[in-house]
Amino acid sequence: MESLKLAWRNLFRHRMRTCITVLGVSLSLALVQTYHNFTAGVYAYMVDCGVKAGSGHIAVYRPQYLADRNPDLAFAPAPEDEDIARIPGVRAVLPRFYLPALAQSSRENRNIQLVGADVPREAGLNPYLRKLPREVLERPMRKRDAFVGAGLARELGLQQGSRFVITVQNGHGELVSELFHLRGIIESGIRDVDTSLVMAMREQVSAMAGAGNATHELAIILDNADMAASVFPAVRQRLLSSPEGLEAVSWEQAMPNLYNAIRWDYVSVKFLSFIVLAIVTIGVVNTLLMSVMERMREFGLTLALGASPGRVRLLVMTEGLLMGVVSMLAGSCIGSLATAYLVHAGFDLRPFIPENLEFGGVLFSALLYAKWDIPWMMEVAAYILLLCLGASLYPGIRASRAMPVETLRHI
Amino acid sequence: MTLIELNNITKRYMSGNQSVTAIAGLDLAVRTGEFVVLAGPSGSGKTSVLNLIGGLDRPSSGTMTVAGCQTDMATDRELADFRLNMVGFIFQSYNLIPVLTAAENAEFVLQLQGIPAPIRHARVTELFAELGMEGLQNRRPGDLSGGQQQRVAIIRAIASEPALVLADEATANLDSKSSTDLLEMMRYLNETKGTTFVFSSHDPLVIEQARRVVTLHDGRMVSDTGSRA
Repeated sequence: MESLKLAWRNLFRHRMRTCITVLGVSLSLALVQTYHNFTAGVYAYMVDCGVKAGSGHIAVYRPQYLADRNPDLAFAPAPEDEDIARIPGVRAVLPRFYLPALAQSSRENRNIQLVGADVPREAGLNPYLRKLPREVLERPMRKRDAFVGAGLARELGLQQGSRFVITVQNGHGELVSELFHLRGIIESGIRDVDTSLVMAMREQVSAMAGAGNATHELAIILDNADMAASVFPAVRQRLLSSPEGLEAVSWEQAMPNLYNAIRWDYVSVKFLSFIVLAIVTIGVVNTLLMSVMERMREFGLTLALGASPGRVRLLVMTEGLLMGVVSMLAGSCIGSLATAYLVHAGFDLRPFIPENLEFGGVLFSALLYAKWDIPWMMEVAAYILLLCLGASLYPGIRASRAMPVETLRHI
Repeated sequence: MTLIELNNITKRYMSGNQSVTAIAGLDLAVRTGEFVVLAGPSGSGKTSVLNLIGGLDRPSSGTMTVAGCQTDMATDRELADFRLNMVGFIFQSYNLIPVLTAAENAEFVLQLQGIPAPIRHARVTELFAELGMEGLQNRRPGDLSGGQQQRVAIIRAIASEPALVLADEATANLDSKSSTDLLEMMRYLNETKGTTFVFSSHDPLVIEQARRVVTLHDGRMVSDTGSRA
């Protein structure tokens, strides 16, 4: 207790210097915590948008489909799908059928990505359909209704209600053409999607491909991305009896582009955090070392009075620890307040970037929200504590090596 | 009973490339309860002798025993324990820890010894009263006069009831009245508690008060008055 008291008072010998250091460490911690939570929110948003339009949090395919994208590797929906939908945490199971095709209007023709989907079920989830007027989505879907990417519609000269032809190659190698009506225009903001996507009813698309009522993908949407770890084994369990040997894959495997984009960004965030914490370390070492060098006489005296070198080392390290505790508490408070603000009010990037920004194949809103990552906040706070303790090690060793005779000679 | 025994002690320092002999073949014996002054001009080796007796330094040659500890052979750890438990130090510049109060400074050695707080407080409070320092316990060193600071240093030195108190030029920074008060106080402690005091000083006032004066010159003993009442 006395050591703590002495360490505390020593820290306040140079009140201004200690306050500046503690403030620097606290703000750095708050910055690292807030920035991490902000990026965690952005990643969660990316994953949410990406998985809903893409593979889902968990996707089910026939083996090799992901590697080859072979349209023949389809499978018939089975009662297991309903079982999967009943797994706690599963919000929806969306069957999809993908097919390369050709779209023709009276003006132009274009290669397209034809997606057969259960449109009414997708409507509330798929971000591509989110911007469509409510009346467009609420009207019952007809067999040959289709939603077309805005860029593609422009290139084909299509408007709402226009008719156009889609041609596909069926499983027997024959060309099959069908007439479709443009029911709505998808404006995703993602160039690839807007210039190539046509979404129609899955039964119609699979029938054109000669695959009956088959599907290529079951996109499983979860209530929360964090539930993937618990839902995944349950999904695999339900697929064990499937005759096609269906396999479940995570969104990270199903959408490597998105996953790698997030990972790459995460590495840069980590690197930035590392630089911030390295600067903090230098600051703490500097403060403690200055404090120790100014007190070498005192340490010499303490040793002369009979203190062991270990005790002197402990005193300096206690000073570092105290500085760490205060910085950790203050920094975590500031970081929590900043995160709370960003969770509720968000960060508006509209003054700096266009309304929408594409990254990793996902379109961002310019208003981004943070997400609490409390375990990580605690981890980095504990790291700050260890960092302050570690930073005090060298000054502590210097102090403990004070030579009483040399020190006292100058007294 | 002999408390300090130095036999043919030599201490050499390196000053740059040159070897400097601070003490040359010193023999000295001090009995328990003595009040000894090491006198001599600057550079005569007074502080070097105190450093050796106090276990702050080791001799280059010779043997020495202080309070039953053969300090010339002791390890660093043993010397630290020896200093903590056997010796009280009083320095010219008081050397109180500025962030501690007078009482906390006085308790510092007791705290290092692991004495429980209530016992420490009681012992230091009693010494403050005995040395006329009541009411000053909670003041920081910066708020005390030089004489008061030196009294706190004395309380720190004697609070643990060491076998020996070493005072290196303890009155050098004090005016003559404070010096006289301090010396009277030390004499009082010497007489009432039987604490052995070894001073280094060239202050005639201190030398006058001593029962025994050992005079050094160029690291050698040139005179020893022996014990005088």
